[in-house]
Amino acid sequence: MDTLVQALINGIAVGGFLTLMVLGFSIIWGVMGVINFAHGEFIMVGAYMAWFARSEWGVEPLYSALPIFLIMFVVGFVLQKLVVNKVIDRPHLVSLLVMFAVSIIMSNSVKLIAGADFRRVNSDIQRGFWELGDIATIPRKHTVVLVVAIIVLVALQTFLQKTRLGKSIRAAAQNREAAQIVGIDIKWVYAFTFALCIGITAMSGALTSTIIPVFPFMGPPWALRAFVITALSGLGSVKGTLGAAMFLGLLESLVATYAPGSSGSQLAVITAFGLLVVTLVLRPQGLFGGLRPVDAGGH
Amino acid sequence: MRKRLRLALALFMAFGLVAAACGSDATDVVDSAGEAVADAAESAQDTVEDVAEDAADVATDDGAEDDATAEEGADTIVGTIKIGAALSETGKFSVEGKDSRQGYDTWAKWVNEEYGGIQLPDGRYEVEIVYYDDESDADTAANLVQRLIDEDGVEFLLGPYSSGLTTGASAISEAADVIMVEGNGTSDSMFERDFQNLFLVATVASDYTKSGIEAFAAKGAKTAVVAYEDTSFPTAVANGAIKHLEDNGIEVLAVETYPKDPTDLSPIISKFRELEPDIFIGGGHYIDAVLFTNAADDVGFAPDGMLITVGPSNPKLIDELGDSVEGVVGPTQWEPTMAYSGEWLGSAQDFATRYESYWGEAPVYQAASAAASGLALHIAIEQAGTTDTAAVREALRAMNVDTFYGPIGFDDRGVNTSKPMGTVQVQDGAINVVAPDGAAIADFSYPRGN
Repeated sequence: MDTLVQALINGIAVGGFLTLMVLGFSIIWGVMGVINFAHGEFIMVGAYMAWFARSEWGVEPLYSALPIFLIMFVVGFVLQKLVVNKVIDRPHLVSLLVMFAVSIIMSNSVKLIAGADFRRVNSDIQRGFWELGDIATIPRKHTVVLVVAIIVLVALQTFLQKTRLGKSIRAAAQNREAAQIVGIDIKWVYAFTFALCIGITAMSGALTSTIIPVFPFMGPPWALRAFVITALSGLGSVKGTLGAAMFLGLLESLVATYAPGSSGSQLAVITAFGLLVVTLVLRPQGLFGGLRPVDAGGH
Repeated sequence: MRKRLRLALALFMAFGLVAAACGSDATDVVDSAGEAVADAAESAQDTVEDVAEDAADVATDDGAEDDATAEEGADTIVGTIKIGAALSETGKFSVEGKDSRQGYDTWAKWVNEEYGGIQLPDGRYEVEIVYYDDESDADTAANLVQRLIDEDGVEFLLGPYSSGLTTGASAISEAADVIMVEGNGTSDSMFERDFQNLFLVATVASDYTKSGIEAFAAKGAKTAVVAYEDTSFPTAVANGAIKHLEDNGIEVLAVETYPKDPTDLSPIISKFRELEPDIFIGGGHYIDAVLFTNAADDVGFAPDGMLITVGPSNPKLIDELGDSVEGVVGPTQWEPTMAYSGEWLGSAQDFATRYESYWGEAPVYQAASAAASGLALHIAIEQAGTTDTAAVREALRAMNVDTFYGPIGFDDRGVNTSKPMGTVQVQDGAINVVAPDGAAIADFSYPRGN
């Protein structure tokens, strides 16, 4: 087996599922200026829905992902209309606190309903690996997620570039007032954006439930990663999210593999957050040029 | 208003009781009744009717009835012993925290409902455990222990889950001179601090893998790799494992550490696959067992032997991971099949049956360790004949008893050195004890699946 090739495959595999997980967080922040503190909890809810579908009805996460997207799209739409929309014109801190409260409500509610036990979603489709000759192995779980991530990215990019609603979303992200002046229904754009992102986030939870342990309090580490990747990519950038997630996945994998001594995985974490600090100081618009820089967007 | 009424009634009865006792020379009754009334007045927990009934029972003119009442008094509930515990209801230790709480509650429920309360010279005392959720966070656990001592006024403490949380929490209890008995924080370093009030009923972390590694060595394993989370308990287990590997002539090919809250261990497992070791040893907690197994599945890492610190002894892991954990080995503090027995709570199997009737699931060893912690405290209080900290501490130090959990006898550090550590292996979906020889109920399967 070739260690370098395996490290690169591991990095790309991790980058794939990070892309799918972070996309919704980045777009909500970029378009609406809302830091979705409950992002990790929406991943968690999607993962639990996939677990339920698998354990109760035997449905593979790959197949339950689309219904979960649709259900959570509706949930996201309602949540935006009833809660987020009411605080969106207030300072950033208010919406951040509201989403923080939502995250606590979600994790504790799931704990009450499903218990605190760790779950892993078994999948026949996503189990095992392919052997790349004698060079390396390719994990099936990650490959499925990576393929879905690419499909979602292409669809989303096409939607944002080619459709009227997509262009409205980009306009709202770049200049809210100007978008309103030219007749864009900003509330509709926000509600749709939020719903779309919550749907994608929950779907990512469903697909990655075969990879990561599922439990009610699994959210915060993923929300933290979403912060890092969004800061690296620049807010709301679809291509940037892919680039930053792949970059982070590869960086962590290579450092973990090649760092001397026994602390490679720990050095990988230090490197990732060190990079975050450097990026925020030297290039706040992100390494990959998002819709706007991290420090912009105050209402 | 109601409290004042109780106090007035209590004082009135105390006066009446003293008068009645003086008339009959029954000094025992005076002491017993006086304390009972004082306790009632202090705690204000008994109802007015209960106190009135007690007083009516005791304040009789018949001397024979006085004696009988005195004997009965030793069996009546005269108070409550308040015990505190910070446990993880949320966060990464929520599973083990729930198991620990069910263990503590099994003991407390049995004490209160079947045993009749902890026996002291003046009567029996019910047990009340005050719980708080430490959110799997060490600082929160320490703060809550302080709160339990200062605001809730607990007399004793039971430990939180994990060494990381117990380390800080026990420092608080030590400073306040409150005894903490625990069974789920086993890191050796905690017992190198010369604490006087910390007692561990379980085996220390450095010996977790001892019988398992000896079993691997006996089957001919020659090389090993070790990965562990770089926190207190996994580090202690891994350091112990490395020592036991060397002692048994098994070469350690690589050691990898990773930070707290890992999300993917594939890079480490990929590196290990290249080394082709005979056995893999993973130190961490339940969630790490899931991640190790996931990563091994994903990259095709299948050594002849896998030993994971926490998880293989838990039926939930088999439910969740199925075939992936077949043949995996893990240490266990206790299993229902072990031939341990004692005069409290019966045998290991009796405990398991009772636990299952209470909670609808089989006990894992973390639950048994928790229940044994409560039991050790219980026995010490009875042997001391008081709840005084110094006397109970001495009773714990002198303890040498057999229980459902195994023998309990503490060394100078406060560690139970009487009980050996067991090793289990997942065999055809069942958890079987395979080492040490005295406790084994099945042959050790090596390589896995053979």
